[in-house]
Amino acid sequence: MIEEPYRWVEAIANRREYLEAQLAPGSPIAALGFRDGILFLTVGQTRQKIFEIYDRIAMGAIGHPGDIERLRMAAIELASTEGFTRSAADVSLRRLVHYSLSPVMKSAFEQIYGPPYLARMLFAEVGRRPEEDLFLRVEYDGEIATNGATYAQARQDFAALSGTQQSRELMEQFLKDQHTPDSTFEAALNSALDAWSIGHMFLQAGETKKLPERAAVVQHRQEQLVNAGIEAAVLERDGSRAIRYRSLSDKELRALIRD
Amino acid sequence: MERAPVGFDQNSSGAAGDFPSLLRRKGLLGPAAIAPMPQAGAAQKIWEQTEATTILAFKFSGGVLVAGDRRATAGNTVVYDRADKVLEIDRHSIMAIAGVPATAWEMARVLEHSLQYFRRTQLQEMSVDGKVRALSKLLRDNFGFVMQGVGVVVPIFATYKGNSKPEARLYFYDAMGAQFEATDYAATGSGSPAVRGILYYENHWGAKPLHKLSENEAVSVALRALDTAAESDTATGGVDRSGKIYPLIKIVSREGITTLPESKIAAVFKETVA
Repeated sequence: MIEEPYRWVEAIANRREYLEAQLAPGSPIAALGFRDGILFLTVGQTRQKIFEIYDRIAMGAIGHPGDIERLRMAAIELASTEGFTRSAADVSLRRLVHYSLSPVMKSAFEQIYGPPYLARMLFAEVGRRPEEDLFLRVEYDGEIATNGATYAQARQDFAALSGTQQSRELMEQFLKDQHTPDSTFEAALNSALDAWSIGHMFLQAGETKKLPERAAVVQHRQEQLVNAGIEAAVLERDGSRAIRYRSLSDKELRALIRD
Repeated sequence: MERAPVGFDQNSSGAAGDFPSLLRRKGLLGPAAIAPMPQAGAAQKIWEQTEATTILAFKFSGGVLVAGDRRATAGNTVVYDRADKVLEIDRHSIMAIAGVPATAWEMARVLEHSLQYFRRTQLQEMSVDGKVRALSKLLRDNFGFVMQGVGVVVPIFATYKGNSKPEARLYFYDAMGAQFEATDYAATGSGSPAVRGILYYENHWGAKPLHKLSENEAVSVALRALDTAAESDTATGGVDRSGKIYPLIKIVSREGITTLPESKIAAVFKETVA
């Protein structure tokens, strides 16, 4: 039965629907390039969602922890063996995602007898200058979105990941207006938190295309931060150290929130 | 359904964060060398320890000082006078090497990547004991080559434990991988007998015991010791007065690793050694 082409298309469509439903409650992650590096931020409930992959590469992910773990391990293995056999400078996020992760995720998604990867990931690689920062979002079907240099859009120094497409688009809309790549860490932190709040507010809220009022965003953030902690990390731009990843504590970040 | 390109070990065993075994699985690191079995009747070759260099390390008031001369030799020939034998492994660990450079640098590279691989995959820093053991295992895996007469490495490992009770830790190894924790100082390489004598003397009858020395005093002791070793050991470079080549000195402290600038070493040398 499944050999018939239209059955296959139907099975894929069902699978897509299932995966979207599973990913829908995923708490958003914002990644912002700023003057001194790239900031990854989410407001965490239970488990870690932001990870170090290699010297200049970090990852944020939503989805099933088992699938995230397998993809994370694969990315670290690939980057580490590449960095060991050649050099750290030869490890490239673009190659890692385009040639290794994406094909594997695509074939797992389309081989309908086997399970797909239930994960959506956001990678970033810090450059020497903000213009060289690379952001890549990888979907469960291997689809890749980058932060720019495509025909349709101007280059952006940020990326967002969320459970639903509309939540993500609102975050991107907000960051496009609010964020500049030459901002300070403090400004980037506040923009990232606001972006998270907007993404989180609109995870389930129908077909909205309009950004909420500022007061509503602040209120939502304050409510959420009562019980949940901020999970964040930076990839430092400073080239004097090989390893750029540094995780940030909830306590040091709360002191920098403006309102 | 098989997912060959991203194949992982599903067992979450203790070996999960082990980088050398990952490299072996991918064919990027040779198998652990096995020593040749002695043939009956064949003349037994006595293994000679040849580590031509001098490395020393001791604890002082600011952490651990690790110093090494810069000479690399092949037999009686000096092949290089700017060799770097004091290598940074991570933010708080230094491995200093005496022995065959090719093996030693490869070992340092594997160790460096191992610690980072562990941190990234297991989401925690490897403990000091774990790091010490990782180096021991690399030496053990290399012992077959040592018995074949190539690739002997005798390192020193200095690190700073940053947990509840921060303290400097210093270890030295033998070629088989046995690790020994040094309370005050360690030295290895062909010039080490002289250095060990000096450090013992300084520690017991010097103006102050080694662990109370200031940074400048510690640098002075290290330079004097290396210069003494070079006096009688041809394989140790000491200080090249005409070429202005100074030993490499690094310090591990709570804040991390600092490499002393050549100008500073030169100043101490001029004032207290030359």
